[in-house]
Amino acid sequence: MTGTETMSLNRFVRAALLFALTVLVCVLSGREFLSMRAADAIYPSPGLTAARALSDYFPALKGTPGDTPVYVYAGPKDGGNVLVIGGAHPNEPAGFVTAVVLAENIRAVRGKVVIVPRANASGFTHSDPQEGSPQRFPIATASGERWFRLGSRVTNPIHQWPDPTIYVTPTGQTLAGIEARNLNRAYPGKAGGNLTEKVAYGIMELIKKERIDLGIDLHESAPEYPVINAIVFHENSADLAATAQMELQAEGFEFRLEASPPNLRGLSHREWGDAAGIRAILMETPNASHGRLKGKPSIGLIIDGKDKFYEKAARLGRLFVPFGPDGIPLRDRVARHLAGLRAILAGLTELDPGKAVEVEDLPTADRVRVEGIGAFLR
Amino acid sequence: MTKKQSVLFLAFFILIAASVLPAQTPPAVFEQPLLVTSAGQSSGDAQIALQLTKKASLTATLSKAGTSKDLENQKTLVLVLGASMKGLGSAGLDTNKEKERIRELVAEAKRKAIPILAMHLGGAQRRGELTDEIINEFLPAAKMAIILRSGNQDGLFTKICKSTDIPLVEVDKSLDAVEPLKKIFKK
Repeated sequence: MTGTETMSLNRFVRAALLFALTVLVCVLSGREFLSMRAADAIYPSPGLTAARALSDYFPALKGTPGDTPVYVYAGPKDGGNVLVIGGAHPNEPAGFVTAVVLAENIRAVRGKVVIVPRANASGFTHSDPQEGSPQRFPIATASGERWFRLGSRVTNPIHQWPDPTIYVTPTGQTLAGIEARNLNRAYPGKAGGNLTEKVAYGIMELIKKERIDLGIDLHESAPEYPVINAIVFHENSADLAATAQMELQAEGFEFRLEASPPNLRGLSHREWGDAAGIRAILMETPNASHGRLKGKPSIGLIIDGKDKFYEKAARLGRLFVPFGPDGIPLRDRVARHLAGLRAILAGLTELDPGKAVEVEDLPTADRVRVEGIGAFLR
Repeated sequence: MTKKQSVLFLAFFILIAASVLPAQTPPAVFEQPLLVTSAGQSSGDAQIALQLTKKASLTATLSKAGTSKDLENQKTLVLVLGASMKGLGSAGLDTNKEKERIRELVAEAKRKAIPILAMHLGGAQRRGELTDEIINEFLPAAKMAIILRSGNQDGLFTKICKSTDIPLVEVDKSLDAVEPLKKIFKK
């Protein structure tokens, strides 16, 4: 073999190795990427009376990435009907995890509770680009670790593309183009709209068909955002929000009360009340993992909620919540949402006994804080 | 301690308690019905005030941006002190317009001899530059004030109430305001 032939062979071998390595990297990263499309398992409690899908209420969603499970817990006694939404923003884990904890524990005694843990299912299938956020986070349970997806605030662009330059919500508000993929700007939705608007429309159909009286949307916000540790209420729910807030304060939970601005359109706390006429409430807990002042994104930041940059921001008076070395762990944020839900249900019973909703086995905030979230996951 | 000393100590304690208790639970000085309005458009706080009046079985009306016309047939004006920029924007008001509205309302209440009860229910998180401006300007017009203790960490309410001789009731939680409300309103 001549020297030139040997060089060619070496070059071929190197190229083949490089090609094989590239294929391996593509396969491994592709598998990791595609695994984000697999939904986390949810194991409903024995109190479940019907397992449905959003497409049961709006068939146009069937077979689309916008379809999502709906869990119904109907009690033997007549009462009101409550909708609990988690995962409207899949990068706000406390909202989603709280909805899962509810679904895996409660039993309705009076009235009906309808739970949609992954309201924007498409948003769970990807992460926000250039953020470096972990794809998943673990919660230790008695049966081992369970991993949950951390998604993006908005619908996956693979499922809805392109974004318009300016997005006009179904009720006429003009917003930045990316908001076209934000479920909590798309209400009351459009039957013939984009995927996100169709999901919003499906939720409005669910509200109508399940004859919902009260809708609760579970969210999180960055510690530097003023609407935090807050109950945001439609004006038709002002009495309920105030009653719940006072109860929560008596239990040691400080919640701000924020009225839903009538001129801010497309949000659940506005359009559920205006378009469907139901009581509408949104709750926010503080989540450092999607704030702009955070340091390195990590699983620890999601679970433990500790961040030295937020600590510094708190010392400088730049935050709207206290933030110390202990951070604000997911466990406390879920406990806060659960305390809020309990107070809202109690408030509904107090103000409108005919629409009372009573549930058993709703984990208390204290127990979640002491025993951890995993103690209430199957 | 001798028996005589014990008796003296007990008498002194009773005397002190008797002089302090009336300040904590002021007599009934307000009449119903009452108009609740926000001074600063923290509408959540105003809503809490309304719910407290309901829990105290009082006849109250909430008008978040009440005007002098709303004082018709009212016997008490409840000013819920606390500014919210979001609330102001939502109500289509700016700081100056809001202050002007409250000035007119307070002036009308004075003209009609309607007493004002000031409340601050937002605690420490509702304090801030604009809220403080509102407190400084309108608290002195009140006949009495009920506030969350956490909103008085710097003693601003204490200072104003002392200098203007306004009875100040501090509570740890909003719900604790129900009992004082029951006591200060005539049946």
